[in-house]
Order: sequence, then structure tokens, then C-alpha cells
Amino acid sequence: MIEGGLNYVYAAYAAALGGLTVLTLIIVLRAIHWAREAKKLEERP
Amino acid sequence: MINFLANPARFMGATAWMAPVFGALALVLFFIGVRLGLFASPAEQYQGETVRIMYVHVPAAWWSLGIYTFMAGASFVSLVWRHAMADLAARAAAPIGATFAAICLITGSIWGAPTWGTWWEWDGRLTSMLILFLTYLGYLALISAVDDEEKASRLAAILCLVGFVNIPIVHFSVEWWSTLHQPASVLRPGGSSIDPSMRTPLFVMAGAYFSLFAALLIAHMRASVHRRRVEAARLRAGGAAP
Repeated sequence: MIEGGLNYVYAAYAAALGGLTVLTLIIVLRAIHWAREAKKLEERP
Repeated sequence: MINFLANPARFMGATAWMAPVFGALALVLFFIGVRLGLFASPAEQYQGETVRIMYVHVPAAWWSLGIYTFMAGASFVSLVWRHAMADLAARAAAPIGATFAAICLITGSIWGAPTWGTWWEWDGRLTSMLILFLTYLGYLALISAVDDEEKASRLAAILCLVGFVNIPIVHFSVEWWSTLHQPASVLRPGGSSIDPSMRTPLFVMAGAYFSLFAALLIAHMRASVHRRRVEAARLRAGGAAP
């Protein structure tokens, strides 16, 4: 059996969850930006 | 349903609540899945603690294939019926699928180091997965490089359908060639060979990845509908100016 190995486990979880967090931030910020722009457009007379 | 969602206004009305709900579900499932994966599930007989990498690696692999299949279906609908929302769906799914594929490759490499003694091997599964990742990048580069959105969509849809030939290759690579990568142990004829104590966290994490995909896809599509509306209005305003 491979002894130890938890450092590899933590590195993999950090890579996966870090990558998903960055992706989520980019998409959510983009969504907020364009929702605001669209709202400004609707409020314009 | 497809016809119903073809109208952007109807799509926006029908999906307003979906992104936050799927997002919250993803958060809950990730919390449970990571806890189960890191603390509740047992170490494996040969791989020891490193088997826990499976819970972030395998769902990323499954859904990177699933998302590409979704994109191919949407691209087909977009090409055949000129369905604007299908095109938007394929475009919105691409960065999510690319990220899942990258996570699969990175976590697989980290898993390979202690179990195989190498970070990378040019075997069938790893190479076909790398090709899938590069196809995602090619798709994203193509839609960014062509200014005419309609032309970009058609070209990207064709690229996506051509690239779809790689999906069965990725899935069956471990059966067709004798590779370093282990054969399928869940999605295989005869059912799963994984113990329930490991299958439960795996399925919870697969649910978490799917929920996150659904939330991000809807959020990205809604952002694209807003962007197109704003840009069209700006164009009209620019055209109306003396």
C-alpha cells in the first residue's frame, strides 16, 4: 500500500476547488456586469 | 420545450430562479462530498489515502465528456434549426467544460505521481483526454477570433461536431488499448465494482459538479442574452445618431 500520500490529496483538492472557484467568480462577475448594463438600458428614458 | 426556450425573453423568464437554486445545491453537495471524500470514506487497499483524489478527478472527467456531448447536441440543433438559444448554450458551456477537462488532467497527473510513479504517460486515455481539452480551447479560440457572431457560431458548431468523434475514443480508450489508466469501474457493463463506502462520496461529488455546471451555464447564458440586448441597443443608438 502507498504510505502517506495526503500531500497529493490536498494538492488535488486545492487544484480542483481552486479552479472551480475562479471559474465561478469569472462567470458570476460577468453575469452581474451585463445584468447591470441591461438594467441601465431599461431605466433610460 | 426546445421551441419554448428558443425565445430569449421566455428563456429569461423561465430561468430567473434557476442559477441561484443550482448554485446553492452545488455548494451543499460540495460541502458534503468533500467531507465524505476526505474524512468519512476509507483508504484503499493498494492506493492508500491517494484514492481520495478520485472524488475530485472522476466527476470532472465524467462531466467534461458530458458537457462536450451537450455542446455537440446544442451545436447540431443550432446548425439545423438556426436555434439562437442552442448556439448560446453551446458557447456558454465551453469554458465550463474546458475547466472541468483541465481539472481532470491536473488532478489525474497529481494522482499518477504516487500511484504510477509518473506525472504523465502518453497512453490512450490521457492522450485522448488532452485532445478533448485542446478541442475545448480550439472552440473557445474560434468564437473569439471571428468577429461576425453568426459566422463564428456556424464554424464553432462544425468544429464541435467534428471533435465529437473523440468522445467515444476517450470513453473506450481503456478497453481498446492496454493502457496504464485503469478500466472503467462505475460506468461499465455488469454495474459498478466500487464499494458503496466509496461510491456514495463519488456520486455526491458528481452531483455537485453537475449542479455547478447547471448554475454556471444558466448564469452565463443569461449574461450573454443581456450582453446581446445591450450591444444591439448601443448599435441602434449609434445608428440613430446624426
